[in-house]
Amino acid sequence: MNLRELASRIAGALGRGRSDREIAADLAAHRDELEAFHLRRGLTAEEARRAVRFELGGEVQALEAVRDQRSLPFVDALRQDLRYGLRMLRRAPGFTAAAVLTLAIGIGANTAIFSVVDAVLLRPLPYADPDRLVSLGERTRAGDPERVGYATFIDWAARSRSFESLAVMRSFQPTLVVNGEAERLAGVRVTWSYFEMLGVRPALGRTFTQEEDRPDAWHEVVLSDGLWRRRFGGDPTIVGRTVVMNDLPYRVVGVMPASFPPLISAKYYTAAEIWAPLGYAVGVGDSCRDCRHLRAFGRLRPGVSAAAAAAEMTSVHEQLRAQYPTQYEPGSVAVVPLGDAITAGARPQLLLLLGAVACVLVIACANVANLLLARSELRRRELALRVVLGAGRRRIAAQLLTETALLSAIGGACGLLLAAIAMRGVSAVAPQTLPRLGEVGIDLRVALFACVVVIVAAALVALAPIRQASRDDLRGQLAVDSRTTAAGAGRVRALLVVADLAIALTLLAGAAVMLRSVTSLARVNPGFDPNRILSMRIILGGRTYAEDPAVRAYQTQAIEHLRALPGVAAVALADQIPFGGDFDCRGFHVQGRMKPNAVDDPCIQRYGTTPAYLSVMSIPLKRGRFFTAEDGETSQPVAVVSESTARLVWGTADPIGSVVRIGSAVRGPWCTIVGVVGDVRHEDLAAPPIPAVYMPESQSTDSFLVALVKSSSDAAALAPSAIAAVRQLDPSVPVYGAASVAALVNGAIGERLFVMRLLAGFAAVGLLLAAVGLYGLVAYGVSQRTREVGLRLALGATSREVLRLLLSKGVTLLAAGLAAGVAGAVLTTRLLGSLVFGVSPLDPLAFGGAALTLVAVAVAAHVIPAIRALRIDPALALRHD
Amino acid sequence: MAHSKRDIMQGTLDLMVLKTLETIGSLHGYGIAQRLQQVSDDALYVNQGTLYPALLRLEQRGWIASAWGTSENNRRARFYSLTRAGRKQLALEEADWQRTASIMARLLGRGEEPAQ
Repeated sequence: MNLRELASRIAGALGRGRSDREIAADLAAHRDELEAFHLRRGLTAEEARRAVRFELGGEVQALEAVRDQRSLPFVDALRQDLRYGLRMLRRAPGFTAAAVLTLAIGIGANTAIFSVVDAVLLRPLPYADPDRLVSLGERTRAGDPERVGYATFIDWAARSRSFESLAVMRSFQPTLVVNGEAERLAGVRVTWSYFEMLGVRPALGRTFTQEEDRPDAWHEVVLSDGLWRRRFGGDPTIVGRTVVMNDLPYRVVGVMPASFPPLISAKYYTAAEIWAPLGYAVGVGDSCRDCRHLRAFGRLRPGVSAAAAAAEMTSVHEQLRAQYPTQYEPGSVAVVPLGDAITAGARPQLLLLLGAVACVLVIACANVANLLLARSELRRRELALRVVLGAGRRRIAAQLLTETALLSAIGGACGLLLAAIAMRGVSAVAPQTLPRLGEVGIDLRVALFACVVVIVAAALVALAPIRQASRDDLRGQLAVDSRTTAAGAGRVRALLVVADLAIALTLLAGAAVMLRSVTSLARVNPGFDPNRILSMRIILGGRTYAEDPAVRAYQTQAIEHLRALPGVAAVALADQIPFGGDFDCRGFHVQGRMKPNAVDDPCIQRYGTTPAYLSVMSIPLKRGRFFTAEDGETSQPVAVVSESTARLVWGTADPIGSVVRIGSAVRGPWCTIVGVVGDVRHEDLAAPPIPAVYMPESQSTDSFLVALVKSSSDAAALAPSAIAAVRQLDPSVPVYGAASVAALVNGAIGERLFVMRLLAGFAAVGLLLAAVGLYGLVAYGVSQRTREVGLRLALGATSREVLRLLLSKGVTLLAAGLAAGVAGAVLTTRLLGSLVFGVSPLDPLAFGGAALTLVAVAVAAHVIPAIRALRIDPALALRHD
Repeated sequence: MAHSKRDIMQGTLDLMVLKTLETIGSLHGYGIAQRLQQVSDDALYVNQGTLYPALLRLEQRGWIASAWGTSENNRRARFYSLTRAGRKQLALEEADWQRTASIMARLLGRGEEPAQ
């Protein structure tokens, strides 16, 4: 075939060649001439026609041969198969709908979950050479990497050779006032080379210089794209302008691009929208080795592994400990790839969900294979007829494959649509702690994944009927009546249904264990009553509130204003609240019980509160008293401890009357313990309460405050008037983060709730699909045996006997599915790991409930076919074909 | 086993058609078939299923062209004629065939004796 021929044949395949009519006319003209010639020779009309036929062959075959030459035969065949396939699918709308829907659900759910997994776990961080970025932390006895002090960071940088650069950050929450309107911003302060370390450039201006990162001068800021647009209207001349925060002027030196996601600050603080230089120097302010409040990050030199860096840093740590024995604990330095550090919390859950959703896909594929198998049995006669009429076996296989691919393509397209919808749902129920959630979306990679899933699904599914079609002696099928089923096919179908049931049960058991975990978690008493309490945050910053009396005056007024609102029962202020995402652990040094090295004294969660706190939160007073209005700045400093603190420090002895220093062992007032209160859970319902100490706001004021408003009815409804009341007091004080305390506590079970909801969703879908598969098999079995049932009924069998006959197979299948499913669940529920709370991963109630649900659904799947079987009229059944 | 009348090699038929069109000029399908039959003394009946795909193939390769016309019996028919490229191709194939034929003739003429 030369190029010109190929070109014109491609044109032919596209329908641009000579038309069928023209070819036929040409052939007919030839025949007419020949016939006329024979007539002229004296043949009769009949003889002439026969002679033409003998000499020229069949007209239809000739036309077909020219058509083959006109275009590319395989393209024609494919087009024909597609047209035929579409016609077959249209002719069996029930089958098509079931198969497409099943595939769409399997593919859609997988694409949606994979999209999340891709965005959160797989996609590299959007920074330069992200695999060389690491997070660093001192790993102490407690095990988790901790924050570091500035002096340590400086020594790390000087003594290590593994890193191209190192950086540290701390939180930064300035109050920005533009046109008299105050707003508290989320930000971080970073060492000057932070952006360079990440390999990102600003969209406008520049980032920080080394000279700007000093204690006496750190008044430059870099803005996020979002903040720049929101508060400064995207002003292109912003660089070089001055903004006022906390009454101080800051110069804007740069704006980061919208494509720069603040993943690191989002993981450890709040997603930053403003950056300032750290402005630390050794020996100045909070730079001591003990001042462990900085997060450290680094970029490894090319070719240096995280493990090698960790080994080097641990030896540096040992040197430092030898040098400053009172300031370092024995331990090591953890060096963790930044991507892992950011996603570590989400990884097990997402992989678990990926596994669960893969199960759904397996069920979907088994179901579609089952549908196709059943259909190919019904079509055996048709296929056999086509073989007899001369269709090659390969041609028939190609036809079946085309049909399956067509189904998968339609299912895949619907699946993508479904995924787009499902992804919105997943994003809506996902816990806010899931990193990089904002980046989730169907992108090219996800679409590619969906295609791979479709192709694999199609191949798996197509395997069944094609093997069937080529194994059967199709010619023989014509003679056989359509009632009998090949025994092999029946076995395959039964196996597929058992697999469906088993996987569905595994998913159900997982969902049930999670449900039990969530309910037992929800029953955990947090130690306080979170209902009907509104919380909102206030920051008293700037020159106005530099002195304690101004803060105290504001506090008193704020409480009065809030108390005056209708529907308010009580008001308290605190520097932090449980489940508020706060953390304020301080050294707890008891006079007479201090350890030789003060570092070894326990670290206790410190709450600064006003006297009403205890009653607003409904925390029980166990002994002694809580704070009163009498505890003021001039009176005896007091503190109250929680029961677990009392137990931890004093054992069975009475703590009341003991004297403690909180924070520093060497500075600050000695406080007398005046009371013991009940324990509260601080941030995790699944964890035991952590020891706490309470101090009166009147004796140690805080600038970051949480206002707690106990409502006599609904807390959330109170928010607008409460915010307005506080704003009215001083508009330059930012008020933000209004939320009901109950919602904060519920947020703590969000992660498990997320996993439970998705697992339950997958289990429901899996169960539905398995039920459809089982129903299909049973109904098919009943319809195949209509004549037999009729015969038995006619011969006097009772309906009970007939039922037993028809349903015994279903019972066997169900039993096999149950056994396999329980085995699968035993093996897999332990993968839920730490998500399980308060129950065993093999919780009998959960397993029993799951099994019962499966049995109930299986029974339902049997009911309709069973009723149909009993309604069979023997007389009609015997004539049934 | 006797050769069936339809059993013509593809290349051979192409050559026959091209040669026929060179000799006679523009001709319709019937005419080509008749001509082949005459020249072969009724030994060659060309089936339509063989002839017409060949005509289309030659046209696709650019060796012949076709147009509707009227036959001597006043019937509408498609007339095929040789193109310039077809003439070149014919010369080439003719030479090829002559060479093959002479080799075959020599080989067959010597019976089963080995070549010297």
